[in-house]
Amino acid sequence: MTLAVIVAAGGYVLTALAKGARLPADLAPFAAGAAGLALVAHLAVRRFAPRADGTLLGLAVLLNGIGFVAIARLDPDLARYQSLWTAVGVGAFVVTLAAVKRVTDLQRYRYTFALVGIGSLLIPAVPGIGQEINGARLWVHLGPLNFQPGEAAKVTLVLFLAAYLVEKRELLSTPTWRVGPVMLPDPKHFAPLLLAWGSSIMVMVREKDLGSSLLFFTVFLAMLYMATARGSYLGVGVGLFAIGATLAYHAFGHVRERVTTWINPWPTADSHGFQLVQALFAFGSGGFAGTGLGLGSPGKIPNAATDFVFAAIGEELGLIGTTAVLLIYLLLVGVGFRIALRAEQPFLKLLAAGLTTLMGVQTFIILGGVTRLIPLTGITMPFVSYGGSSLLANFVILALLLRISDEVARRAEPTPVAEAGAAR
Amino acid sequence: MNRQIRRVGLAILVCFGALFAQLNWLQVIDAHSLADNPRNVRAVLRDYAEPRGQIVTSDGTVVARSEPAKDEFERLRTYPTGPLFGHVSGFFSFTLGASAVEDAYNKDLSGRNLDRQFHDIGDWLIGKEQTGDAVLSLSDVAQQAAKDALGDRKGSVVVLDPATGEVVALWSYPSYDPSPLAAHSSKAVQAAYDGYRTDPANPMLARAYRERYPPGSTFKVVTASTAIDTGTATPQTRYPVLRFLALPQSDKQLHNFGNSACGGTMADSFRQSCNSTFGQIGLDLGEKLVDGMKAFGVTEDVPFDLPEARSAGPAPGTFAHNKPSFANAAIGQGDVAVTPLQMAMVAATIANGGVVMAPHVVREIRDADGRVIRRIGPDEWRRAVQPTTAAAVTQMMIDVVKRGTGTAAAVPGFTVAGKTGTAEAPGGPPHAWFIGFAPAEAPRYAIAVIVERGGDLGDEATGGRVAAPVAGKVLAKLLAIPPAPPETSTTTTTTGPRPGGR
Repeated sequence: MTLAVIVAAGGYVLTALAKGARLPADLAPFAAGAAGLALVAHLAVRRFAPRADGTLLGLAVLLNGIGFVAIARLDPDLARYQSLWTAVGVGAFVVTLAAVKRVTDLQRYRYTFALVGIGSLLIPAVPGIGQEINGARLWVHLGPLNFQPGEAAKVTLVLFLAAYLVEKRELLSTPTWRVGPVMLPDPKHFAPLLLAWGSSIMVMVREKDLGSSLLFFTVFLAMLYMATARGSYLGVGVGLFAIGATLAYHAFGHVRERVTTWINPWPTADSHGFQLVQALFAFGSGGFAGTGLGLGSPGKIPNAATDFVFAAIGEELGLIGTTAVLLIYLLLVGVGFRIALRAEQPFLKLLAAGLTTLMGVQTFIILGGVTRLIPLTGITMPFVSYGGSSLLANFVILALLLRISDEVARRAEPTPVAEAGAAR
Repeated sequence: MNRQIRRVGLAILVCFGALFAQLNWLQVIDAHSLADNPRNVRAVLRDYAEPRGQIVTSDGTVVARSEPAKDEFERLRTYPTGPLFGHVSGFFSFTLGASAVEDAYNKDLSGRNLDRQFHDIGDWLIGKEQTGDAVLSLSDVAQQAAKDALGDRKGSVVVLDPATGEVVALWSYPSYDPSPLAAHSSKAVQAAYDGYRTDPANPMLARAYRERYPPGSTFKVVTASTAIDTGTATPQTRYPVLRFLALPQSDKQLHNFGNSACGGTMADSFRQSCNSTFGQIGLDLGEKLVDGMKAFGVTEDVPFDLPEARSAGPAPGTFAHNKPSFANAAIGQGDVAVTPLQMAMVAATIANGGVVMAPHVVREIRDADGRVIRRIGPDEWRRAVQPTTAAAVTQMMIDVVKRGTGTAAAVPGFTVAGKTGTAEAPGGPPHAWFIGFAPAEAPRYAIAVIVERGGDLGDEATGGRVAAPVAGKVLAKLLAIPPAPPETSTTTTTTGPRPGGR
């Protein structure tokens, strides 16, 4: 734990040094403030979840720090907001740790979570409050505050799914309903699930938020599979996805646009393909070692601080930097799954696995999109991208994972001895 | 549940592996083509923020320099000489990229030349600025003389040093001022650029090396040289006195200027610019004319340090079925289309005993302390004709200025060799040409002048009346400057007599 905090703090110190030569000194207090926040989060973990996994917070803080440097380099004003949002995120992190005494209790509020999730997805569609940015209507505009409720919806919907699937998994994994040659589970148990999933997908598609639709669909499928252990769900899911993707391709111009730019961005390099091409240039110009912080031109990439922040990192830190970021995410996901594997209660297991899948898949979707591995769908990069709602949601996910980790450790070894006691 | 969780974890691991592979593709394997993609403005932006050397003339006038600026680019490129060297320096623009010397010598100016980095490793260690200054072979005096002599008539004046291939003057009228294109506001740059582009006079066209014209009778230098060199004819070979030459394979005729009768020896015909004689020589030469043009480099890519338009002539192997085009080519009409620079090279080749030198506008690169760190040329490109041939043609060219069509190019106290040309071109009056060199016995300058559409004389214009006086004025101005003493340089080895425009 201490090691992780030292690494994180070291990251901050390094970044402060790297920026120091080029930016005004007022950045130092920001870096110090952020380091203070990391300390607050660390103390909260010590206080409320002393037995939790020690690396998780360190990894997240490291990502947050890398993101902060990338953003500060692009736009010092955004960095100021980002540090504010980090403070709010850490606040939510502490509150979650303190308020959720037993994660198992959350099971009881599953339908509330479902309602909150779908409700918050619907808010942006309300005229007057909702705001369309970059062609997607997923912003809520309340006075000076811009908020993306979809980020919160992701967390609550995973909570709902975990609770509901654990309750019904026996029923869902035993097919009793025969439709032609296919055996399906009782529609009575399946319907609420389909309803929750279908409506959230519909809402996201209506709001043109393709990234979130894809993310939620994948997480839903993965959780269904993990809960029921039935591979046929995966088959059906992939089939549904293929149908949905084909329909979306033909029905929506913006979907078609994304796919054609993915297949070949060069003919439209000045219009639809512009930002992807700029991102590719950034990666190519960065090369193996990168141009060095402050020496590239990541400002050329549109949305460099939010969805395209990985390209900005790729330009200035090169393959070394992008690989490091990739490894940190991999560790984060690895730790998340380790918590899931160690948990004994099915709900905790599924929740930890679901939240981890959420983070892992979200990372893959945006990084894959920015690197032209898959069609680009704009979502944020967990902990790294600029964006308050995303940061907030990810800190809550982190807090939940830590709580689960703590509970698992307590259960495994009731007498508090040492942190290493968590290992079986 | 654990097995499924592991499988999902494995799937995510595989996805991340694919990401890693894709990153390797983008940042290592495909990185160079992405980084060098012309749409990728990063290289320009990087160059723009970095210090950049000056472009100066051989006589020390600053043509381009970078001044400190207070915005994001840190430096502003300016061109103190305005339009005078616009087509030579080109521009260095964040919005438009770079052109001419700014482009061709970008690595030297920005100091990213590899040779330089090794040379100056000590300076690099102490953090010294690594830029290089490009010293032009052009002189301010010569360029100004060319500009004054041509005045506000569309056309070009090119002056070369025949022995080295150094370009001494490279003037085209109209020209443009590169400074507005190097401004930092891309809106202002675009407005200036659009202004130049929509100007019907097309000031951004470097006529001297980017535009091709029919050379008219100046091309008889190539024809005569080829005929003598191949033994097809001598200056004493006699041709019938005719008003026109009836062309084979057609009912067309090749008329003499003003339909007058001319002929006699090749030397007589050359002096009077007799079309019927040279049309006949073209027919006598046949395919050899194509080889002769190639020997002068007319139909080749010229090893010039700026992007020259390639000149053209009749296609090889076409003589048998298209003889008239060879008769026309022999008098510089028909399929022949050349740049003024190319014609200056033809004159310089005769002046240089038949050897074509590679032309270049930059003479050397110097570091901040004035040390020469790279010298450009002199490079022998090819041999066009034997020295005896060049001498014979020189004699004929001397006669042109002494008592032929080019008397207006004479410079008192010096022997000028030359050839006039009046080139028919569809769509207006003929172009007036003059090519030549001086002093004929020890040439210091070779020159080509073209006045588009005969300037203000229009249909009345001939090369002798319009272009020859321009050449005479420029040569008089340059020959009045005493030749520089041979340089003794301590920094490099290859230094010969350098009769430049100092």
